Amino acid sequence: MTDIFNQVFSGLSIASILLLISLGLAIIYGTVGVINLAHGEFVMLGAYAVWFLEDHFGLGLFPCIVLAFFAVGTLGWVVERLIIRRLYGRVLDTILATWGLGVILQQAIRLSAGAELRYVQMPPGLSAAVHFAGVDVSAYRLFVLALTAILLAVTYVLIFRTRFGMRLRGVVQNPEIARCFGVNTSQIYALTFAYGAGLAGIAGALVSPLKSVSPDMGTGYVVDAFMVVVVGGVQSLLGTVASAGIIGELSGGLAYLSNDTIAKAIVFLGVVVLIRFRPQGLFALRVRRG
Amino acid sequence: MDGQRKHPIWAKLVGYAAFCLVILILPLFITDDYLLNKFARYLVFGLVAMALSISWGYAGILNLGQAVSFGLGSYCMAMALKLRTIPIQTGAEGLPDFMVWNNVKSLPWFWEPFHSYGFAIAAGVLVPTILALLIGTFVFRARVTGVYVSIITLALLVVINLVVIDRQRLTGGFNGLTDLAPLELFGLTFDPYAHATYYLIAVSLGAALFLGLAVVHSKTGLIMQAIRDDENRVRYFGYDVAAYQTFALCLSAAVAGFAGMLYTLVMAFASPTFLAVPVSLSIVIWSAVGGRASLLGSAMGAIIVTGVQGSLSDTPAFLETWTLIMGALFIVVVLFLPRGLISLVDRIPLGGSARRRAAAATVAASRSGINAG
Amino acid sequence: MPANAVGATGGTILELRDITVEFSGFVAIAGLTLDVHEGELRCLIGPNGAGKTTALDVICGKVKPASGKVVLGGREITRLEEHQIARHGVGRKFQVPSVFRDLTVRQNMEVALCRAPGVLGNLFRFGNSGASEQLEKLAELVGLEEAMDVAAGALSHGQTQWLEIALLLAQDARLILMDEPTAGMTAHETAKTAELFNRLKGRHTLIVVEHDMGFIKEISDIISVMHQGRLLAEGTVREIETNAEVRAAYLGSGGISGA
Repeated sequence: MTDIFNQVFSGLSIASILLLISLGLAIIYGTVGVINLAHGEFVMLGAYAVWFLEDHFGLGLFPCIVLAFFAVGTLGWVVERLIIRRLYGRVLDTILATWGLGVILQQAIRLSAGAELRYVQMPPGLSAAVHFAGVDVSAYRLFVLALTAILLAVTYVLIFRTRFGMRLRGVVQNPEIARCFGVNTSQIYALTFAYGAGLAGIAGALVSPLKSVSPDMGTGYVVDAFMVVVVGGVQSLLGTVASAGIIGELSGGLAYLSNDTIAKAIVFLGVVVLIRFRPQGLFALRVRRG
Repeated sequence: MDGQRKHPIWAKLVGYAAFCLVILILPLFITDDYLLNKFARYLVFGLVAMALSISWGYAGILNLGQAVSFGLGSYCMAMALKLRTIPIQTGAEGLPDFMVWNNVKSLPWFWEPFHSYGFAIAAGVLVPTILALLIGTFVFRARVTGVYVSIITLALLVVINLVVIDRQRLTGGFNGLTDLAPLELFGLTFDPYAHATYYLIAVSLGAALFLGLAVVHSKTGLIMQAIRDDENRVRYFGYDVAAYQTFALCLSAAVAGFAGMLYTLVMAFASPTFLAVPVSLSIVIWSAVGGRASLLGSAMGAIIVTGVQGSLSDTPAFLETWTLIMGALFIVVVLFLPRGLISLVDRIPLGGSARRRAAAATVAASRSGINAG
Repeated sequence: MPANAVGATGGTILELRDITVEFSGFVAIAGLTLDVHEGELRCLIGPNGAGKTTALDVICGKVKPASGKVVLGGREITRLEEHQIARHGVGRKFQVPSVFRDLTVRQNMEVALCRAPGVLGNLFRFGNSGASEQLEKLAELVGLEEAMDVAAGALSHGQTQWLEIALLLAQDARLILMDEPTAGMTAHETAKTAELFNRLKGRHTLIVVEHDMGFIKEISDIISVMHQGRLLAEGTVREIETNAEVRAAYLGSGGISGA
């Protein structure tokens, strides 16, 4: 019983981090229609922001999370203005351009902060284990889980309960009509991209105490996160959550049965089959064709 | 519509022939075997980028898993060469060294046929081709298009890469296949620094360019381009679109597999990094920088990019900066030169295009005439 | 059946029998039955949402009906794939003109000229397939003879429409389906198109979905009127204009002439 619980919790922990990373990617892909291959590098920058602030200014993790959001978010805004906006409607080209961007960001960090691994301190209050339902679980992982839930709620409110969100949904459904009603679509795209990038920054900040921080840490994340978005179905917040949960638990479970590598291979194979039969994702509604 | 202007076929042929001549006489000017080996590597990259151009530039299929074909070709050649290496521990006819270290008792069944060079060379081309046939049928029959094809090929690349690394007992795992015997064929020895190896690669690239040119100028090539523009329209003219897409993917895979085999010869090892995501994306970059819709452009894109990279690699600081510049250059090309560097050549006026410009002028005139009427 | 009356020059080439099409619960076509004769030019009209475009989609295989069957020249083609239907001699022009924008006008026509559809056979076919004279003639027919080596993307909207029509002629389909061929054309271009269609009659069978009544009067033999996924009426322009049911269907839009 405790074994199973352990397993479920470890899967949940994988899922929460996956969700954090995928959330920004899903928002960007779902609204702006851009496949952002530099998303992993945004995550990496978030992690480096924490390392830098902690190392040079002695800041704790919590203020760093907030600062990482704004720093990476601002970068996202600049990137949208300079590059992304020129590529709307050219989805395949956005893959190429954002990959080039990823290379630049990785290399810039390598040149400025060095290629060696960096480590970030876990906040002292959260480094202990908590006794919960008969098993010991890491307090920090519980914290990540809780913060993910909060960010999800914030995003939900932002999209479905604010004026900005209403305009955003309008732009997604029909940019021309939205423009006719005086919505500044270009501004909406830029802010959405910035918000998605900011979320990646937070994800990176949260991951930093768990993993070593390195310039190429983002590469692995972006592919995984992309699979989550595709499985969840574009433009479906709930789908992204469910699919992060499924992929997280599945990876955890399969890794328990064989090993990490084979687990990942099986999950990816599953994703391939899924795209073949349901390119719109598991949780998107069927729409009328033609 | 300036970028649309294409040179007549004879101008193309002259360009391709000049390129082939240059790569064939290059060894006359290079005395350093180490340098020649480097050039051979660049030409192999040119070959694999040219292969991508067939599927991506002509048929509109952005295959992010091109490294699968390249890597499988490389492993097929490496397996044959590994079996020719006499292991130190066991002597002749013994198991490859990594299998001994991993406590493998007998040679796995799929290694057996690689005792034959003929089988290995055929497999280097056919294994990627058959895989492409399966993937193409699986994907295109379901009318999966655009980004989703790219995602599927990328995911499959990751899967195959993971499996190769994980099955260390059979594949050499993370270390790949090292300590290979040189290929001996037709009385020639193709070791990495031999002139024979360079010529083999140069001739292969030249032949592939001309064969590729023949394919893209055939009716099949024309229909591939039509599918790239509007696949539904092609379907309603009576063509089996999936068959054409699958063909483009297979042809591209076959050439990439062949390039992989050559790469094993110049590197003298095969590694799972050959069939990994970074290589796959690099191939896309080379082709994009040179010109995705031009076979020669793609090949030259690869040669130029890797050439500059290679010449800087002796000074690590430069190399790091170069990677940074590469990223920026790549973004600039995607944004402002979607047809790649070769489109600059296409803009050079030639005598033959005068008529075409006159025709374009007539269209413009008749268009304004109709609008006025 | 009035369909046998005017302009029918041959036997039945196309039969739609009791076609029903549903899109997740929404019934687009409800029991459509239609006959078209060889060499005829049939106009298909009806208010928005009547199912006209869907009917064309069913014939060319883009949409598979939930029930009913499509018979072309005596052979059932209901369940065939689009390219197989095309090989049986059905050509389709889309509402939004679709041509190969990166290819030249000549190359566009070469693609449309689908003599042998196989991949491997076409590997050994080069240059212009010995049909360049035929293609030049077609280009002349639609006024594009000067633009043979121009990329299709550089053509005007009207020229693009004509290019697509020329492509269908190059395809040499027995049955050509036209979805609003004059959409976006100037009055001058529309008149030219009407003239062209009248020349095609007899040699090809055409089904034309249109809104422009002036154009329909110029070209049509028999008009079929669709309403709410069904065939409402069939007859000559005069018969349709005086049909009470048709008037009722178009109520509020000022009759068919105002549509």
